[in-house]
Amino acid sequence: MSAAVRASHPSLLPDPTWEPLRGFWVGAAAGELRIPRCTACGAFCWYPRERCRRCGAAEFAWAATRGRGTVFSFAVVRRALYAPFAPLVPYATGLVALEEDPAVRVATRFVDCEPAELRIDLPVHAVFRALEFPGAAGSLPAPFFTPTRETR
Amino acid sequence: MARAAAAPTWGAATPLEDVSGEVAIVGVGEADHSGPSGRDAVAIGAQAVERALADAGLAPEDVDGILYRGGIGPQFDEHAFRAHFGTRKELFASPDGGAMSWAATAPYLAAQAIRAGKARVLVNVFAVDWASRRGQMAGGPGVFHAQERMKASLEVPFGWFPQPVYFATIARRHMHEYGTTEAQLGAIAVACRRHANRHPTAVLRDKPLSLDDYLGRPMLVDPLRVEDCCLISDGGAAFVMTTPERAADLRRLPVRVLGVGEGRSETGTYWSQQRDFTSTPQVFSAPAAYAMADIGAADVDVLATYDPFTIVALMQLEDMGFCPKGEGGAFAEGKGLHFDGGRLPYNTHGGLLSHAYVLGIAHVVELVRQLRGEAANQAAGAEIGVYGGYTGALASTLVLGRP
Repeated sequence: MSAAVRASHPSLLPDPTWEPLRGFWVGAAAGELRIPRCTACGAFCWYPRERCRRCGAAEFAWAATRGRGTVFSFAVVRRALYAPFAPLVPYATGLVALEEDPAVRVATRFVDCEPAELRIDLPVHAVFRALEFPGAAGSLPAPFFTPTRETR
Repeated sequence: MARAAAAPTWGAATPLEDVSGEVAIVGVGEADHSGPSGRDAVAIGAQAVERALADAGLAPEDVDGILYRGGIGPQFDEHAFRAHFGTRKELFASPDGGAMSWAATAPYLAAQAIRAGKARVLVNVFAVDWASRRGQMAGGPGVFHAQERMKASLEVPFGWFPQPVYFATIARRHMHEYGTTEAQLGAIAVACRRHANRHPTAVLRDKPLSLDDYLGRPMLVDPLRVEDCCLISDGGAAFVMTTPERAADLRRLPVRVLGVGEGRSETGTYWSQQRDFTSTPQVFSAPAAYAMADIGAADVDVLATYDPFTIVALMQLEDMGFCPKGEGGAFAEGKGLHFDGGRLPYNTHGGLLSHAYVLGIAHVVELVRQLRGEAANQAAGAEIGVYGGYTGALASTLVLGRP
């Protein structure tokens, strides 16, 4: 990556101390995919929001999920659109519908698989890897998804 | 419609007052559309306004209101207007006009300004210099999304970015749910290109595209090809609005604003979380605009919608009621969208896909020309023209009528 590209993308790494998502990164560091859950009615609310989409309450707790779900949809990036991802091309990225509540969709990059293996509704699970970018300092444990191959 | 048994609840229409018949479009102008031009958006906007005023037969002193887009960098606003035309005249000004969804709601703002006595002759203008500035923008126009912190934390670092990735993901889901095919998306790209090839101001007027060409092109973000994605252009356009009374004294056949609608998604521009993933807020906007105009989708003679990607064109065909949900592909395939002999003449200038990426304002210019009967790709007997605007969070609908 050129110096110019680095300079224009000073930090693709999220700030794990940003309050609305702090629990997500704390969970990732512990190897768990955590999603905010309304303490009043139990609804998962994603992305984090001020009030529960179901009951309107304003208290949430970060709840551990099993980290399992299905491919809701995906795209295969064949040509780099954004310089920081050029080294990864071709790569598959998309949305995972969580087992606990399929309305919760987690954006992800699919790892440990060929893009051709992916299809909508394929069972997948979270694996925790270092989120890092070539030529940029720092890394952060983060959930990625991979096809679930063992029988369940 | 088979699948639309209950009203959708993932968004809502904006309540608007009935302004049907209160505003006419009396002049239109396009700046030169191109690749990197070295001109900035303010200079491009000035050219568009000059041409729109010339078309209307009006002088800069006749203008007492200007609508532009705020918050996206320098635009041709009231200060630029005064500087460019060398006038110190006070102007009513609103930063809530422009293109995208606001090209449809600008006539509503104009109607309100006219009602309030704030202005009588208003210009809506929009210009971009994104072809010239592309290298400075992360992911091109994606910079607007990369700066949104939730997306910057949960989407961008995982490569779910920028817009071609969002809409490839939506397209694949639409294919899964409804059986939509690559060739059906391709038919939209081909129709728009054919229109652009016959249009004097289209950036891609010299580049033909057949369906075989399309299917032979490589994937950019599978299942989308470059040909499914809009251009990145420098360019702009403007249109002049006034009362029907004032319009009667002017040189051009006035085009009447019959209806305006606006709808929004409860999840905003978080495409990833929109409950109905394969729809647009046109499901809220279009019915409201049709009601104001007292028409139905079947009355529409020519359609222009915001087409950043073929899949967005396809979804709006469904969501605006031109066919049942899920049947947009079948509606568009073959020559379905061609200006001559199709089911519905669509983006007869070539749209964002093949005319110019000026974010929809040239769509309105094209509809005005259609309703005047002077379009390059004239739809026979065009009396009702509709523009569908889109931002993701918002969709809007403008119903225009031949006098």
